[in-house]
Amino acid sequence: MSRAGTSSDCVRMSGLRITSPDRVLVEGVSLTLTPGTLTALVGSSGSGKTLTTRALLGMVDFRPGVVAAELTVTVDGVEHHPYKTPTKRRAIERAFRPLRGGVLGYLPQDARGSLDPLRRVGKQVAACLTLAGAAAAPTRLLQRAGFPDPERIAELYPHELSGGMAQRASIAMALARGSRFLLADEPTTGLDPTVQEGILKELVAMVAAGVGVLLITHDLRLLPKIADRVLVMSGGRLVEDLPGAEMLQMRSEPGRALLTATARVAGGTLGELQAGGA
Amino acid sequence: MSEPLRANRTASWLGGLGLALVCASWLVSLVGGYDVIADVDITRASEAPSAAHLLGTDHLGRDILWRLITASEAFFGPGLLAGLVALGVGVPAGALAGWLGGAAAGLLRYGFTVVSALPRFVLVLLVCAIYGNEVWIIALVAGAAYAPIVGEAIYERVSHFRGAGFVLAAEAHGVHPLRVLGYHLLWVNCRKLVARHALQLFAFFLLLETTLSYIGGFGVEEPQPSWGNMIAFEWATFEGNAWATRAPMLAIWGVLLSAMLVGELFSEREGRR
Repeated sequence: MSRAGTSSDCVRMSGLRITSPDRVLVEGVSLTLTPGTLTALVGSSGSGKTLTTRALLGMVDFRPGVVAAELTVTVDGVEHHPYKTPTKRRAIERAFRPLRGGVLGYLPQDARGSLDPLRRVGKQVAACLTLAGAAAAPTRLLQRAGFPDPERIAELYPHELSGGMAQRASIAMALARGSRFLLADEPTTGLDPTVQEGILKELVAMVAAGVGVLLITHDLRLLPKIADRVLVMSGGRLVEDLPGAEMLQMRSEPGRALLTATARVAGGTLGELQAGGA
Repeated sequence: MSEPLRANRTASWLGGLGLALVCASWLVSLVGGYDVIADVDITRASEAPSAAHLLGTDHLGRDILWRLITASEAFFGPGLLAGLVALGVGVPAGALAGWLGGAAAGLLRYGFTVVSALPRFVLVLLVCAIYGNEVWIIALVAGAAYAPIVGEAIYERVSHFRGAGFVLAAEAHGVHPLRVLGYHLLWVNCRKLVARHALQLFAFFLLLETTLSYIGGFGVEEPQPSWGNMIAFEWATFEGNAWATRAPMLAIWGVLLSAMLVGELFSEREGRR
């Protein structure tokens, strides 16, 4: 069940650098997540958005020299510095373990792939409830995630769900886990507009309940309406950081290119994009 | 449900019934008190099936049905031991190799390859020649020889799913890695694979034990009954009661078929998802 974060809760990452053997993948990325806000991380494919999210969860290869970052996660006034622990892979893994799930939740892009193919949906939601130590019925969470017939959905296996249904099931699991911050990695990609709207509505409801959300997306159309801040990534770097309401005033070249492309796909101009978003 | 699937399921249930019969005969043999020496009665040698002896008698006048039932002791308990050894070694080793990857996986799989390179039957004969002809030793060796097959199968499955979305999602939800490996991967996604291998190993051990007993000098030896030595013992006097050789042959064939059919039940269900 969702737990609202306290006002002191915060996720602050600075100077993220991720390298592969032959090149730098992400460099100098800094961001802050606070409870009750939605931060959008946008950028073209390969700009480093997913890697940044994975680094927040400590799920990037920990070999020495691969990841370097200052990550401070403040929960109930207690600061955690998982990347400051010894640079051994297992030590970092252990440092992240108490943060994953309860503090930092994850909504994956490939929702169907993120569900265990051999377990019924209801059981998977129930497992998240158990992890969170909550006693609610899984069907209640499935209903909150937008299923009108949660009892039927709970009995299904993942292969019996459509893409949109799988994404909703993932949202139900995230709700069940009760994370204070949710890292949503392109949760609406490949879904029809109606389903997209429903999922975004649920994310907004979670923000209203006090959850800090990092939303990774290519789709800029709805951001002016729902995002508190918009971060633009390009070539592994953060090139722009501005309030969501001022998104159309992006100055960086990658940001303008994204805006123009989004408006073109939507069949209108930037002004119409603003009108649509507002 | 489609017709072929329904037919397979019925066949698998028949296989289950066959295995249940073997299990029952093993339990009966444990409490039945059949005396392999006292049953010798040359005056009723090679009798045809009758109400007194449902499958007749062999050329020493021994009741074939009782010997058939008692012979299940020769492979059932040791077969379970072989399964425990193969799964006890193969599952953890394969799971570790698949989960850790890298050099650890390379080392463990090298071990699998080395053990697999030795022909299993020859290995068993070699160990019997060195350490004695005990059926429990045969079981231990058979289990150890089969462990790499289980290990490699588990390795394939675990390494395939190691980077899967649902495993990463479970870790992101804060599930402890040991639980991800033990429950999400091994229990949920590998248990039917393990069951299938256990059945195959059971069938392999039955063949091994009956073959060794048939050859003579290894395995179970007269007067203790084994389906293998029952066939060998009567083969020379083939003109007697034909059931003395037919019954153990059919029993071997039936158990092998049952194990395969039940194994298919597991693989078929897995394939449906």
